Amino acid sequence: MSTGTITGLRLAGVQTLALARRSVVSEWRQLGNVMPGIVFPLLLAAVYTHQFERVILLPGFPVVDSFLDFVLPASLLQSVSFGATEAGTELARDIENGFFDRLRASPCARLPLLLGRLGGAMVVATAKGALIVAIFLAFGTEIAGGPAAILVIVAAAVLLVLAIGGLGQVLAILTGNQEAVNATFPLVFTSIFMSSAFFPTTLMSGWFRQVAEANPVTWIIDPIRRLILEGWSWSDVGQALGVPLAISVVTVTMAVVALDRRLGAS
Amino acid sequence: MSAAVVVRTTGLGHAAGVASAICGRGMRRIRARPTLIMPVLLMPLIFVVSFTGAFGSLTRVEGYGTDNIFNWMAVYAALQGAVFAGVGGASATAEDLENGFFDRLLLTPGSRVPILVGTVAYSALRSMIPTTGVLLVSILGGLSLSGGPLALLTVYVATAGMAAVFCLVGLTVVYRFRTMRSMILIQVFGFSSMFLSTGQVPIHFMNGWLHAVARVNPITNVLRFARQGFLGDLTWSLTWPGLVALGGMTLVSGLFALRQLKRLAA
Repeated sequence: MSTGTITGLRLAGVQTLALARRSVVSEWRQLGNVMPGIVFPLLLAAVYTHQFERVILLPGFPVVDSFLDFVLPASLLQSVSFGATEAGTELARDIENGFFDRLRASPCARLPLLLGRLGGAMVVATAKGALIVAIFLAFGTEIAGGPAAILVIVAAAVLLVLAIGGLGQVLAILTGNQEAVNATFPLVFTSIFMSSAFFPTTLMSGWFRQVAEANPVTWIIDPIRRLILEGWSWSDVGQALGVPLAISVVTVTMAVVALDRRLGAS
Repeated sequence: MSAAVVVRTTGLGHAAGVASAICGRGMRRIRARPTLIMPVLLMPLIFVVSFTGAFGSLTRVEGYGTDNIFNWMAVYAALQGAVFAGVGGASATAEDLENGFFDRLLLTPGSRVPILVGTVAYSALRSMIPTTGVLLVSILGGLSLSGGPLALLTVYVATAGMAAVFCLVGLTVVYRFRTMRSMILIQVFGFSSMFLSTGQVPIHFMNGWLHAVARVNPITNVLRFARQGFLGDLTWSLTWPGLVALGGMTLVSGLFALRQLKRLAA
């Protein structure tokens, strides 16, 4: 590798870090926007735990001591998904207010424009994920897979943020409009509710069960839940990390292609 | 000789005129920008589909109260829609405050009460859209009207009342903080208040603190009132507590909103 290439990569790394730091600082300054993403999933978990205690006795429901153990993956994914589109919203805001054009005019590489914001969203998601798991542990949830499973669970949630963030960036680049990116939130919200997040698919019926079983969120939640309830399994680890990683590769690649086209067209 | 036109700015007729003009302006805004109503309509539809699909097997738990999940969840989804509709009415005022229209409104002579009444009426009218949407979807799903057409009337009364209450709560905050961003507080409050009631399960399914909270939550009485026609015949013993709860919440939130409005106008 030539010295020029190494210098270029180093510069891109520095630029990515600078933009990631900017994203994290922006979130930190608007904690009021972050809090609902933590408070609401926790409230939902607390309510469901106290209202679904009879439900865990239904035949077909996984063996759990409390509904709290069952609902942890749902609360985790719900919490991180609240801010998942932020990487796209930020990019759209930068396009709207002209900051993106100023960055483009500067000698900044293309990839950091996307990766910096995604990196920031991932840092915030890691903090949120760790906090949610810590609170559940404090309230008595036991994770059968042990500490390594906790790392996998949080990593899976962070990868999901990367996947959703990539999609948000595609929309931001295509529309340059914050509202359009924010419109993906109901989609994310619905995908969580129409999955095995709050109830096992074995207890669902009809077309809803088919939708829930075909929903990629279910493919992420089910292995995470098995790591919590049943214990460590390499196949579950592979599925919990592999599914969001595969979606991330698709959405981030789409974002890179969309950015190339936008820059090429102007 | 100059001709002077004297416009009466007192009396019930003038107040009704102002209130109806404000309400009409809101409805015209929906016609001009139909996208404004989409989230208010879509979210409760998502709720009714998700909750009936995911939690359908709740009816298999002894003592649930119905063997048709739509009979239980439809009213809950409709009331959630009404909460969004109410908060949306307050958001329209937040927009008026941000763009200066509200200041011009305050410069006009006359009492401030019609401004409040007009906005509340707009919210209550607006709530009929998600309520109708939820009922139509639920009827397609198999909702039964064991209480006859009066069952529908109770739902519309309850949703209009809830929209009015959450509009007034939203206005209290908007008059205080004067920003659209403050509405997120009310969204979270409204959403949480609904979850802390008998929205998804009967009260005897709950335990611990949730049981205690749901028992004193006035929304529980509103739900009983609105839901009775789908679970059996309408009875006065379930009707009056619901009406008292709606009246009480409207009175209290109305007094708070009026106090903030007077402070704002002073």
